[in-house]
Amino acid sequence: MRSAGSLLLLIAGGVTTGAPVFAQTRPADVVAEAPSALSVTVYRAPYRASGSIDLDRLEGFALVSETRTVHLPAGESRLRFEGVADGIEPASAIVTGLGDGVLEKNRDAALLSPSTLVAAALGRPVELIRTNPKTGKVERLDATILAGGDSGGGADGVVMKTADGIEALRCSGLPETFSFENAAGLASRPTLSVRVRTAAPLSAQVTLSYLARGFDWAADYTATLAADGKHMDLGAWVTLANGNGVGFPQAHTQVVAGRVNREQATVEPIDLGGPIVATCWPRGSTSDTPEILQLKKAMPFGMAPEPMAGRMAAPTAAMALQEVAVDAQRVMQEQLGDLKLYRVPETTTVASRQSKQVRLLDRSAIPVVTVYGAELSASNPVGPQPASRLLRTKNNVANHLGLPLPSGRAAVFLPHAGERLLAHESEVRDLAIDEELEIGMGEAPDVQVTATPQDVDSYRVDIANARPEAIQFELTLHFYDESVHIRKADRPMGTKNGHPIFRLSVPANSTLTMRYQTIKSGAGAAGRTRKN
Amino acid sequence: MRTRLALAASLALSLIAPAARSADPTGRTLAVTIYAGDLALIQDRRDIDVKGGRQRIEFQDVSAQIRPETVSLKAADIAIVEQNFDFDLLTPAKLMEKAVGHVVTIVRVNPATGAETREQAEVLATNGGVVLKIGERIEVLRDDGLPVRVIFDKVPDNLRARPTLSVTITGGHPGTRAAALSYLTPGLGWQADYVALYDENDSKIDVQGWVTLTNSSGTTYENAQTLLVAGTPQLAGTQLGGAPVRWRTPARGTIQQAGTESGNREQLGDFYLYPLAERTTIANQQTKQVSFLDVHGVPAEHGYEYRNGWLATSNTPVSAKSVYRFSTSAHAGLGDQLPAGVLRFYMRDKRGDPQFIGESAIEHTPMGSTLSLATGDAFDVKVHAVVVKRTKNSDRDWQTDMSYELSNAMTHPVTVDLLQAGLWGDSRIITESQKSTRRSADTAEWQVTVPASGKTVVTASFDTKF
Repeated sequence: MRSAGSLLLLIAGGVTTGAPVFAQTRPADVVAEAPSALSVTVYRAPYRASGSIDLDRLEGFALVSETRTVHLPAGESRLRFEGVADGIEPASAIVTGLGDGVLEKNRDAALLSPSTLVAAALGRPVELIRTNPKTGKVERLDATILAGGDSGGGADGVVMKTADGIEALRCSGLPETFSFENAAGLASRPTLSVRVRTAAPLSAQVTLSYLARGFDWAADYTATLAADGKHMDLGAWVTLANGNGVGFPQAHTQVVAGRVNREQATVEPIDLGGPIVATCWPRGSTSDTPEILQLKKAMPFGMAPEPMAGRMAAPTAAMALQEVAVDAQRVMQEQLGDLKLYRVPETTTVASRQSKQVRLLDRSAIPVVTVYGAELSASNPVGPQPASRLLRTKNNVANHLGLPLPSGRAAVFLPHAGERLLAHESEVRDLAIDEELEIGMGEAPDVQVTATPQDVDSYRVDIANARPEAIQFELTLHFYDESVHIRKADRPMGTKNGHPIFRLSVPANSTLTMRYQTIKSGAGAAGRTRKN
Repeated sequence: MRTRLALAASLALSLIAPAARSADPTGRTLAVTIYAGDLALIQDRRDIDVKGGRQRIEFQDVSAQIRPETVSLKAADIAIVEQNFDFDLLTPAKLMEKAVGHVVTIVRVNPATGAETREQAEVLATNGGVVLKIGERIEVLRDDGLPVRVIFDKVPDNLRARPTLSVTITGGHPGTRAAALSYLTPGLGWQADYVALYDENDSKIDVQGWVTLTNSSGTTYENAQTLLVAGTPQLAGTQLGGAPVRWRTPARGTIQQAGTESGNREQLGDFYLYPLAERTTIANQQTKQVSFLDVHGVPAEHGYEYRNGWLATSNTPVSAKSVYRFSTSAHAGLGDQLPAGVLRFYMRDKRGDPQFIGESAIEHTPMGSTLSLATGDAFDVKVHAVVVKRTKNSDRDWQTDMSYELSNAMTHPVTVDLLQAGLWGDSRIITESQKSTRRSADTAEWQVTVPASGKTVVTASFDTKF
């Protein structure tokens, strides 16, 4: 146990001495085999109710489960799982298969890098290699690093002690570098380790599960409206992306729809290290002296992972143009508590910094209604302004749907001369069975709405339809003053979400005019007289 | 705590080998007490070599974020003259700056022949460039771009590779003796992380609890006896809990009913203590987890909750929260106090693999409490709340007609706790389609059963003064 400390310390890259004292009880350093089975379940960004993913801001996460074989000697071991996702939330790690022998789980933030090597070698002998540029003679000198790396002082240059005296690295104009004895136990890839104690040698299948950031997914729908405008075909992709530097080959892959609660806990980000910074005193740069000590402390980074280097082309609706996938393999949906889990039927490789699409659904001949509409605040003059337009259907079996529709983005295509052209793109929220599905189609310049106040509390609305067919129009009125109601209207009135709504049919190439009057409710005349 | 630390100290003393030097870490014993809010008390026992008379002792490997004003050094037969915390860090630029007025050695390398020539030079200034006096000439270092090495004799006394604590003492009789150094430092913290696996068929959960230590203090604590305190002491100059904490008090309270049971955990005043069973090394930038709770088969309820704000109308149906409830009592629950942290829920999918279904922060929870934790939104259970009508009866009397349409797309019926908040002051329900209870003065609650693949509409009229 005592020795475990010194060994762990080596890994952590701190300063240590005296480890040999405990050498005989040092725990075995065991590296778990590469994963034999992998599972990746991707969850969406917790705050996003609709819309697609942004490859520059993958703010969802994933549950990664790895099955690895381990061979442990009797006694205490430090079991290392190398190559976990760099977005790992170490607090969420679960190790099963080792019984109750797990003493502790560790994740070290420092990775092997030039700067962490220098930090780990602080106060210890290294070899300084200096090349004489003229003669080509290479000098190998014993040196001790006195300051440098990022050991609390920031990367402000490296000071070392040589046989001559105190010098600074690369301030002489000569080619200089260090040669280190060993990698100081620093891991090259993100690593989770457990301290485990077993009574007898043990070979076991161990499962490591953890949550990792830097993933996301969304559904990308493509709706193709039929020439009659009354039916559409709906297809959808599951678009998932992995922004981690670690890939997951041949993984069981799932995505989960529904919002799960995440607490905004911070994660100590992995220190990816850096080059050896050899700041010195060349001409005119001595003024780089840091005046104030500024210790760098790990700061909360919320749900935001680092932007991905080497941005990829974001998947756009254009992808859908190549869509021919009728026989494509589709994800299979199952219930997971109150969430929907979609399983990719075959194992697939979720490579690092990759987005991947798997077919979600294909439904055809879905009856739809095109609805034009406007939402007016009751008393203000408006317009003429174009009406909004949307496609409406209901998510049920009668409409060839009747399945949960996860949130995402919908692109609507219209047929034209044998081609399909993009008409509009809008966002879709999570839709349960039997909910109304509305796909926004943007504005319709051919349908213009004008609202004109007439006498006191009396209004007129004109809806001009320049289209060659009759349209359905929904006029919704909003009142700022909640005690104001419709007193009289010359069209049948309904309510939607507590607001008055007029469902109108506007004939082809004509203007429909409707009028309504409002009244302010209150205690009889008292309410009226107070109006000013 | 004092007794506990005394115990730790005596244990520590018994472990100390007859070490030779004060800097020898083998003669060192560390006890680290970590509070829940980015604060730790470090008790560092090491041997010091007392020479007799006045001397300066340096303590390496103290926290880089040490609060020097909290340092206390105790050892037999010494008197402390002063304590210093030097944070002037050793860099090449600082090295040169401190060499002003001193003589350094410069080594010139002839670019044509590779021959080296050595000269002594006095550093005159380092303002915007290094000005040297070599013999009677004044030169600017490397102004010509040719290779010139600068060699210093020594590192100035107060330049350090890392921040260093030094104490000047007056010692009594010479010899090696044990010294106890203690100080407070931020940069160390802990929280609890819970893993709950919910069994849908049996309505039971298995809960594992882990304490998660994080160390961003810039220093590694080797082989330390570690004690975790479930609480944050008030620090002067901060608000209570003003230190950055990894968890936040959740907006929706998680303790439904506060418990009244006592456990057998160690306590320090009102704080619970979680000592780690074994010494451990807390490495810099490390996240470490140690188990403290493992309970199986605790009964748990699953339900739904929707809270509507006053006069809130949604344009589309909104998902209800998925809520899990369980007890921390000894007979039908976890049987322990729960330090604040995050509880993550898992559930097995159709293949039998555990999948994550959401998490919830919890507060420090006494034993015997009932917890109600929201893990996320239910995909299939939604509520569409609408203000149907507002009627002004008089200036200070309003009638509000509400309609709540609850829908369930699952193949089994569900029960939703429908809450209407904002019923402040003299408010009453005039009519309602089913009986409500008052959860609190300003919140009405309906227990609404929604049939499988069906809808239930609840209506209510409120009489309010606003």
